[in-house]
Amino acid sequence: MAKKITIYTTNTCAYCGMVKKYLGNKGHEFEEINIDQQPHRQQEALEISGALTVPVTVVTREDDSQSVIVGWNLSQLAPALG
Amino acid sequence: MSEQKVNDLVIIGAGPAALSAAIYTTREDIQTLLYEKAVPGGLISTTDWVDNYPGFPDGIAGLELAENMRKQAERFGAVIEMGEVTDVKKEANGNIKLDTTDGEVFAKTVLIATGSGYRKIGVPGEEEYYARGVHYCATCDGAFYRDKKLVVVGGGNSAVQEAIFLTRFASHIDMLVRSDFRASDILVDRLEKEFKDKITVHKQTTTDQIIGEKIDNIDRVTKVVGTDKASGKQVEFQTDGVFVFVGLDPNTGFLKETAVELDEIDFVKSDDSLETSISGVFVAGDCRSGATMQIATAVGEGATAALRIREYLEG
Ligand SMILES: Cc1cc2nc3c(=O)[nH]c(=O)nc-3n(C[C@H](O)[C@H](O)[C@H](O)COP(=O)(O)OP(=O)(O)OC[C@H]3O[C@@H](n4cnc5c(N)ncnc54)[C@H](O)[C@@H]3O)c2cc1C
Repeated sequence: MAKKITIYTTNTCAYCGMVKKYLGNKGHEFEEINIDQQPHRQQEALEISGALTVPVTVVTREDDSQSVIVGWNLSQLAPALG
Repeated sequence: MSEQKVNDLVIIGAGPAALSAAIYTTREDIQTLLYEKAVPGGLISTTDWVDNYPGFPDGIAGLELAENMRKQAERFGAVIEMGEVTDVKKEANGNIKLDTTDGEVFAKTVLIATGSGYRKIGVPGEEEYYARGVHYCATCDGAFYRDKKLVVVGGGNSAVQEAIFLTRFASHIDMLVRSDFRASDILVDRLEKEFKDKITVHKQTTTDQIIGEKIDNIDRVTKVVGTDKASGKQVEFQTDGVFVFVGLDPNTGFLKETAVELDEIDFVKSDDSLETSISGVFVAGDCRSGATMQIATAVGEGATAALRIREYLEG
């Protein structure tokens, strides 16, 4: 099970909406970091994912292991949530 | 053995063509299931602003238009499943079998409304730096280029529109147009008048190579090499990223091994009633041979296909 979920988003990104909706439908709580509103956190998203794109979803499990999912990628997101 | 469910209609995709068809079919009480592999709303959900879809005198955000279409279809009972369709086949009993990432699905009729995806330029560096400096979606990735330099490749409507959108973030944009603008005069006029300080247009300039290096241990794009066709000379543009808008290719790869006939550039062939080479399988929108690649026309074709599907089901 996920202990913490963080999503990096922007205002205009449609795929971010898909990830948020999916997590909401599955009853997961998440922290959203909108880099349009918090531009100083953009570097963080880049360092975590190695990519200049959103959404970036970081799933931290009970044992502190992490999965980083770049984009709207259900085949990676669903198993990461456990 | 449990009886297999046969849907009245399965629509492949949930873009404007699909959602428009679903609004019509569900209102006619035709049970309708849509399969969408990415985002309901299709390409418009990643488009910043739409100014040419009737009914919105001041224009509308692409994402909002997409959401509105989805809600309208769902209001009448359309069901959207997230998943990808990988095969379409007519069975001996007349039903159509679809393979999806969730398993097999059966239908009396099918509408292919898979639209198109971003075309690549096909130059060295493009693949290597994908999402690390090479991008195809401005609304998704533009925010990473605040106060940075960008190159935009392309000269059509999308390229001009998205370059204008990217000026929100970028300090300067070099726009590389292989020949001359193909965009509408009104857009080009706006670009040349309102954005001439931020966007420098280089016509007759090809994009030949995207070059990058590791900066702070992360792969980053640093320059684009092209050719000025007039002089034949190599030109270089220092940049932090490249956005490519050179057109769209139909999402029809999964149909190549099927009995659905494609034209020579892989768009789905259809007759006057939008029926494909498999009876009961229809096509609408950007993936159809002869499509005009607009939201309004995709929506129109979706509605037409829905009426033809009703006739087909009524036999
Ligand atoms: C940057 C940009 C700006 C644009 N601006 C405008 C504009 O201002 N005005 C205008 O009229 N048009 C505009 N267009 C064109 C417009 O977006 C398209 O004409 C329109 O979206 C076509 O609708 P469609 O339903 O045929 O296809 P799409 O919108 O492409 O939808 C097809 C859907 O099918 C899904 N799909 C594909 N294959 C499968 C599969 N095998 N299984 C399941 N799902 C699948 C896709 O994920 C997609 O969501 C723009 C396009 C771009 C790229």
